[in-house]
This record gives sequence, C-alpha cells and structure tokens, in this order.
Amino acid sequence: MPLHSWLPRAHPLAPAHISALMSGVMIKLALYGLVRVLFDWLAPPGLWVGITLMAVGALSCLGGVLYALMQHELKRLLAFHSIENVGIVALGLGASLVFADIGQPRWSAIAFAAALLHALNHALFKGLLFLGAGAFAKAVGGLELDRLGGLLRRMPWTGATFALGAMAIAGLPPLNGFASEWLTLQSLLHLGLASQMGVAFAGALATAALAGTAALAVYCFVKVIGLVLLGLPRRAECAQAREVPVGMRASMVFLAASCVALGVLPGLLVPTLAALGPGRVTLHEAAGLNIPGTGSLPTLVLALALVALVGALVRLARSRRAAPAPTWTCGQPPAAGLQWTSAGFTKPLRLVLEALLRPRRELRVIASSGVVEALAYQAEVPHLFDTLLYGPVSRGALRGARIARRVQSGSLRTYLIYLLALLGVLLALARTGVLG
Amino acid sequence: MTLATLAAGVVQVVGGVLGAPAIVGLIQHLKARLQGRRGPSVLQPYRELRRLWGKSGVTPEPHTFIYTVAPAVAAASTILALLLLPIGGHGPDWGLGHDALVLIGLLALARFAITLAAWDTTSGFALMGGARDLMFSVFVEGLLLLVLVLLALPLHSTDLLSMSHAATLPEVWSRPAHWAAAVAFCLVIVAETGRQPVDNPDTHLELTMVHEGPLLEYAGRELAYLQWSAAAKHWIMLVLACELVIPNPVSFAAQVAVLGGGVLLLSVALAVCETVQAKMRVLRVPLLLGSGVALCLLGLASWFAGGGG
Repeated sequence: MPLHSWLPRAHPLAPAHISALMSGVMIKLALYGLVRVLFDWLAPPGLWVGITLMAVGALSCLGGVLYALMQHELKRLLAFHSIENVGIVALGLGASLVFADIGQPRWSAIAFAAALLHALNHALFKGLLFLGAGAFAKAVGGLELDRLGGLLRRMPWTGATFALGAMAIAGLPPLNGFASEWLTLQSLLHLGLASQMGVAFAGALATAALAGTAALAVYCFVKVIGLVLLGLPRRAECAQAREVPVGMRASMVFLAASCVALGVLPGLLVPTLAALGPGRVTLHEAAGLNIPGTGSLPTLVLALALVALVGALVRLARSRRAAPAPTWTCGQPPAAGLQWTSAGFTKPLRLVLEALLRPRRELRVIASSGVVEALAYQAEVPHLFDTLLYGPVSRGALRGARIARRVQSGSLRTYLIYLLALLGVLLALARTGVLG
Repeated sequence: MTLATLAAGVVQVVGGVLGAPAIVGLIQHLKARLQGRRGPSVLQPYRELRRLWGKSGVTPEPHTFIYTVAPAVAAASTILALLLLPIGGHGPDWGLGHDALVLIGLLALARFAITLAAWDTTSGFALMGGARDLMFSVFVEGLLLLVLVLLALPLHSTDLLSMSHAATLPEVWSRPAHWAAAVAFCLVIVAETGRQPVDNPDTHLELTMVHEGPLLEYAGRELAYLQWSAAAKHWIMLVLACELVIPNPVSFAAQVAVLGGGVLLLSVALAVCETVQAKMRVLRVPLLLGSGVALCLLGLASWFAGGGG
C-alpha cells in the first residue's frame, strides 16, 4: 500500500496454482529488490528510511487485513491478505534498519530474520490456501463466500489442510505463522524499549498495529473457515461436491506439513537467516526460539503439550454418551437460508469503523397501497484507495491526455511548423546564452 | 529447583485449576449481596461443574469434528497459559518458557476455537456473540501489547518473570508510566473476562450475549471445559495484574500474600463495578479501549520526560 491496487484484481482472474506462485514468489521479488537496495547498496540508509518502511508496513498490514475482512470472494480476500503479509515483512525489515541505526546489531539481525522467516512462511501457507481455493472452485465452481458451506464434510482432505493453512496465516500457535509473527512482534516491542523517544514511539505504535492486525486476521479466517467449510451447504453444488484427485491433495498435504514443521522447528532456520542480515550476528540453534530479552518460545514443547492435552481432554469428554439434536434456531429446523453471511459476521467491526471504511448501502422498498411488495438491498465497502486516490488521479490523467491530444492534429504541415518553432526557440536560447 | 519455585508451581496448578471457579463464585456472591439479595454460595460454580461433569452431552446437527474438539482446545490452551504465569516472581520451567506474547497467543487460540465452533453449529445466537468477541479482541490485543511495552520498559524484557521482578523495584511507585499501564490493564481485565460494562456474564438474553453466546449449544463435560476456561481466564488476568502491575515486596512469602490479597481485592472491585455500572453499548467498547491506548502513549511520553531508563 498504497501501490497495491492491481493485486486484488489480478488474483481472482489467475488460475489457482498461478495465484499460489504469484503470492509465493512474484511478490517476494519486490521484497528481494527492497532488501538488495536498502541492506546492500545504500547501507546504511539512515534512520528515516527504516521509520518510513515501518510506517508503510503498518499501513499495509492494517489496511490489507481490514479490506480482506470486508471481501466476499475467496481469492480476492486472499489477495488482500498478501498485502497484509508483505506489510508484516516490511515492518520487520524497517525495524531491522532502525535497530542497525541506533546501534543494536543483535536485534537488527533478529528483526531481519523475522522478516525473511515470515516471507517464507507466507509463501507456504498462502500457496496452500490458494491451492485449496482452486480445489473448491473445481469442486463447486465459484468462490462467492456466501454461496459455499459445509465443504469440510464433503472434502475432508482439502478442508482440513485449508483449515490448517488458515490457522497458520492467522498467526495461531503452534504453527509457522505464529513463530514468525512472534519474532516480528518481539523485535517491534523491543524497538518500543529503545532509549530514543521517537524510535520508541514508532516501535510502540507498530507493535499495537501488528497486534491489531493479528487479531483481525483471526477474525477474518474464522469467517472464511466458517463460511466455506462449516455449516450447511448453501448451494446444491456444495452438497454434492467431490474431493479433488490425489495429485492436488498431495501438494496441499505437503504444504500443510511444511507449515507444521516450520511452526515446530523454526529455531533451526532462524540462525541461518539472522546470519544473512546486517551485523552478521550468530544465534545458537535449537528447536524453539530462545532469545535474550524474551521469555522464549519453545515451539516443540508447546506443540507437543497442546496436542497431548487436547487428546486427553477429548477422550475424557467423549467417554459420555451424547444425544443428537438439531441446533436451536427458535423452534424451526436449521436451514441453509437462515445461516449467517460474510457481511453479517463482520458487521460489528464495520459499524465501529464506519467513519474509516465508509460503507455504502442502499435499501429500496417497493410498496403499493401500504403493502410492501419487494425489498431490494445492496451494500458494499468501497476500496477507499480506489475511490479517493486512483479514481481522481486516473480521471485527471485522462483529462490531461485529452488536452495534450489537441496538439496532435495528424497533419504533416502542423508538425513541420512545430519543428521549425522548436528550432527557432532553441537558436534564440543559444544566442542569449541560456543553453551555454 | 528452590523451594520458592516449587511453591510457585503448586500455586500455579492448584490456584489456577482448582481455585479459579471460586473467583467467579465470589464475584457472583458479592454482587448479589450488594444488590440486597442473598445470592448463591461462593461454591456454586463448583457445584455446576460437578453437575455438568456427570451429565451426558448433546451433539447438535449439523456439526463436524471442529465442534467436538473446540472445548478441549480452549481448555488445553488455557491450561498452558496458566503454567506460564509468574507466582510471587517465581515459576517452575515447565519447558514452556514464560513469555508474555506466547500467553497472548494461547488465549487467541482459545478464542479462535470457540468462535469456530459457533460457525459449526450454524446457530445465529452463537455467531452474534462470536462476532462481537472477535471485534473486541482487535482492540484488546492492541491495548494489551501497549501495556506490555510499558511494563517491559524497566528491564527490557517480555519474560513474565523479569517483568514481575520489575514490579518489585522501589522506583515503580514514582513512575507515571507504571500507573498508566495499571489503569489500562484494568480495562483489559474487564474486556477479557467479559465483565460489565463490556459484557454481562449473568445475562440470559441471547441477543445481548458476547462471551456466553458460542457456549449455547454445549452441554455436559464439554460445557464444563468451557465454563472452567472462562473462570481460569479470570485467574490469569487477575494474577497478571497482581504480579506485573501492583508494586510488590521483594521476599517471596510477602509477594504471595500480596498476590492473594490482590486477587481478592480485584474480585471485590469487579463485583462493585458490576453493581454500579450498566452494560455499555457494544459499539462504544472500542472507544473505552481507545482511551486506554491514549493513556499508554501518555505513559510512554512520561517515561522519556522522566529521563528514561
């Protein structure tokens, strides 16, 4: 952000595996360029560059996830999440530059490693999510969130791996998204502890922004999993969806396994990544992340303890018989049409942030002689960067082009006059000595 | 392992797992007394848990394995969060570390599991509560992180043990940053434990529910897990407040006494607050939490005005 306008439009048009590559590799090329320029050629680029990068990163991650939450199409939603995740990487890189500038090479290296780890993690879970989206599109055709539902029962493999990817991108323990977000958050928080007031404020604000982003991502992926995988099918195609072939399943399972592996053993990779950063700092290798100044993140123990406890508790609860009963919906049987929609689930946030998001809604009541015959309701959350920035700019550019076009008459004689006039002006300028 | 660490471990497990429902019971009891009713006994939550433990469950149609696993995930991550807490500045190393951000991550996992279960049953009431809970969490987590920045300032660490150690330093009494963090943390407590004015835990009207909404379809042992988790969250938040925010004496025994007294005092404060305060509109809660954010930033500014570290 704010140069992101093309991305949410490009993703829904590309096929799923291309989208996976786009978000995994193509977007990272820009980050690679950024790292090369800032950390290699311009090093050290100065404090303001780091702070600016952090500001752009915070704007991207908050804005990206906020608009992702308001989307009703799966691939468009995922595209906005790419913006969010690149923003998180930018926060890490910015923090690394600032740490280098205020003379803390160790934290600079850690923030750098956090950024690279998050870039890698993003490639994994976003690839997984796009492949999953592709599998759903193949099975039911169409990825409108409000017209899916109940797919976990029909497509258990795709559904389970997709849910795992969603947990990873939402930054929940013990998966890889949590490890890299933890590391990024720690470096931002320690930036907030710096002894320069401006740097500390930037760090504290970025910390709060990233925490808000993480919570928003949880909100968003609860919505996605709920609408796509759970509940009753909202369309006949969803009720008859078929699991995709083994080849597609295998690639998703592989990516899901990588998400788990990097979530459980991030400590094996982080020292290598940190050594790449400025300062050439070495951290010692372990399964978890044990960094002085933090309470350490022992990912392996955490994951094992979670799995063991959940297993034991489920066994304890399951030892009782349970009677089936329909969900209570005030007496009527649960029906697909009564289920919540994407817009409904995000409504509390939309109301709170109304001044910021400026949603548009339109309600038309067609009544004849006091009886309401039909209701038409339309609502959308317009993308403000499009309506307030790119709209006026592109309209202005077109208007400018229209004025400029008057000069081009198409007749050769006019062009010869232009040339002669230019020659005359140049000669005059040369004579007066302006051109030297 | 020293004796203090061992004792801290015992308090972590016994206080957290067994003592947590008493906090909820105490608040309910005091609230009833303040309203002129006799009210249920302090032990009522234990009786409810025992009753639920003996009952068979109900599985709503439709549901998937997510509905079945969610209460266990919520309870498991709450148990792990309990084990990260410092008690009197000590805490045995369960192999989990003592990191503040890990604790927040575990609480987020519990919230994720519960709200996902709400989607699984397709119950509109459950989703109403779940959506509100997630909306609050955006602002609560941002505020909580700012509070942590303020509390980590003296010793430059997010390790809960050293943050707790920072609260034993005599100079925290004179630091506005610390008091700003204390007030902001109170807001976090109210929001995270689902107490008035943010949420009314005693409501039986589904339309106004926040934290109870997603629990509506559950029964039997699964409901017992969820109710215990809600009680344990009170314990986690109140213990964090006593350990990190209230200035502490140095010796372990005195610290544990302060911890006990502090948890008791804060429970009373919650009961009084619930009696005098009406529930506020859901949409106004972010404003309340936003004032906490402003307070934290003022606290940070005061830290530098006072000469920094």
